Amino acid sequence: MMEHGPVMEHDAAKVLLIAEKPEAADLVRLRLVESDCRYEVNCVPRISDALACLEVETPLLVLLDLNPPHSHGAESYRRIMQKAPNVPVVILSGQDDEPMAIKAVRQGVQDYVIKSDITAKQLERSIRKAVERKEHLLAIEAARQRQLEFKDQFLSHVSHELRTPLTCIHQYVTLLLDGLAGPMAPNQTEHLKAVLKSVNQLHAMIRDLLEATRAENGKLRVEPRCVDIGELIRQAVAMLRATAAEKGVGLEVGVDQTIPLVYADADRTLEVLMNLIDNAIKFTACDGSVVVKAAMVETDPSSVYLSVSDSGRGIVQEALPRVFERLYQDPNAVDGNRTGLGLGLYIAKEIVTRHGGRMWVASEPGNGSTFSFTLPLYSLAKLLAPAITHQGRLREDIVLVRVELTPLSKALRGSWKEACQRALERLRQCVSVDKDLVLPPMESGGAVETFHVVASIGMDRVNILLDRIRDQVGALLKQKVNGTLRVTAEPIPGPPAADPRTVEQQVWGVADYVTEIIQRSGWSNTHFTEKENHENAH
Amino acid sequence: MRTENDSDGLPINRAKIMVVDDDPDLRQALSLRLQANNFDTVNVCDGYSAIAMAQKEHPRLIILDLGLPAGDGFAVLKNLQEYPALAAIPVIVLTARDPESTEKRTLESGAVAFFQKPADNEELLGVIRACLRTGWEKSGSSPS
Repeated sequence: MMEHGPVMEHDAAKVLLIAEKPEAADLVRLRLVESDCRYEVNCVPRISDALACLEVETPLLVLLDLNPPHSHGAESYRRIMQKAPNVPVVILSGQDDEPMAIKAVRQGVQDYVIKSDITAKQLERSIRKAVERKEHLLAIEAARQRQLEFKDQFLSHVSHELRTPLTCIHQYVTLLLDGLAGPMAPNQTEHLKAVLKSVNQLHAMIRDLLEATRAENGKLRVEPRCVDIGELIRQAVAMLRATAAEKGVGLEVGVDQTIPLVYADADRTLEVLMNLIDNAIKFTACDGSVVVKAAMVETDPSSVYLSVSDSGRGIVQEALPRVFERLYQDPNAVDGNRTGLGLGLYIAKEIVTRHGGRMWVASEPGNGSTFSFTLPLYSLAKLLAPAITHQGRLREDIVLVRVELTPLSKALRGSWKEACQRALERLRQCVSVDKDLVLPPMESGGAVETFHVVASIGMDRVNILLDRIRDQVGALLKQKVNGTLRVTAEPIPGPPAADPRTVEQQVWGVADYVTEIIQRSGWSNTHFTEKENHENAH
Repeated sequence: MRTENDSDGLPINRAKIMVVDDDPDLRQALSLRLQANNFDTVNVCDGYSAIAMAQKEHPRLIILDLGLPAGDGFAVLKNLQEYPALAAIPVIVLTARDPESTEKRTLESGAVAFFQKPADNEELLGVIRACLRTGWEKSGSSPS
């Protein structure tokens, strides 16, 4: 809401006037003085001056002469509105520029007055109306925001409240199914399995409801790492193999073995793959097949292309643009499959978009559907460049720091994963944002977690950094988890004195070198023995 | 039946687990499952009783809901730390709340694991057994 009262109050209302020509400025000043209200006019010649004024003070209103030569019509009021979204803008227009002024009003300017027939009364009325209109708009926007917040709270509350009775049903059904309340007759077991299936569906819907809300608010969390996409596809397929077999649908995988590492959130990507494969199975009849593929495409070398194709009944042309919409459900789902809330594809697409990828569908009725998406490949050079170059040159001293976290043999999996995540956050706080880079960690199957930092620091001073990491990350480990920490560093050789390569090529060289050392020591970390861990424990 | 022992030589079989949840049906179902897996159980329904009962019964592990009357789960976690005899008992949080907003805070408050309801039974039992086997050491204890 505006802090100023209406124009009629006793304090002079501040008006910021932007007019390049002195005669235009004088005319407006004169009219404002003639009016019954008291105005304090601050007149500046250029948009840039006005932006500077708005930095320090919020006027009641901005009056903009639409033909200042140093600015370009629409561009000028857009910049003002961007800088001060809560301040109403009224345009002073020439007779000939009226169409442009009308366009400006459509784009969010409150009003316009024609300079040639400007009167004190008219200007005053225009200012008052502009202020009132802006206040209303702001009030509407605030109400909309409150409503959105309420919706979020409501969904979060509902999903929490629904989970409690659902948990109870889940517990008792599984108690019965596991025979913990006495033996069950075979048909009773079948009935209970049907109940459990519905409980699981309900559970998935509640989860989707929250996820979709997050996606809508841009709060869907994505933590990219280096991942082996082939491995993820194998995991997704393994988890859905039983579902496909039960329905008599074939499930095949075709992964190009030469695909490099992908830069993506493994859990989220798995979610997308499972969603697409599960859908494909659902819409494919017995004896049909589902094929999951991953490949590189020549025209787009920085992405991997994934697709899930089915031999199902396909999607009609009219429905194609709508399948990714929220709450879209296939109106022809007749085979007894419950379609769920219609949020799965919406969430999947949002996840892919958050990774910087795209998702689309191709389908023909009767000939199955293919859902495709892209994910960015991991490019160390692209990530490294801002950290290891300075003023167009490669920095002189670069080292590779390795941080290894090892859980003692029986640490809990969930807590350990969480601790590693926090260790990574702590590690990011230890390094300099513009000179060092914490490399995205590799998704490793083992319990040992290894992080790498490429730091722009000489070997003579690297101990300062290593000690800081030992202190900060070590403190976290000791405090929370039964794990040990090892921090080491090695120099990365700089380029030769007369290096004919471009900086870009030099960065590529460093990236290759770093990749090689990291891979040589084994990202999977399986070669570390229990003894090594304890010897190096802090 | 095979007898498992934890690091202190105490058997895992018949280890006493305290279930803190304000929903009586869920408490009972959880207890039944734990008992079927050879654990002894004590049930309490609110935050205040949780501390009193823990002092009286000295459970080897606590399964704790967060939304509780008379002191929520976070208050219970905090209060447990204040009694030297109770501070070392591992606590597994089992709640309907959203992990995105509560998991981190829960673990930072001293819980050893976080599960959202409804939890997978086998996964929960796995973590319970792991906790009892390691004789889980909490905050401040040195690993070696």
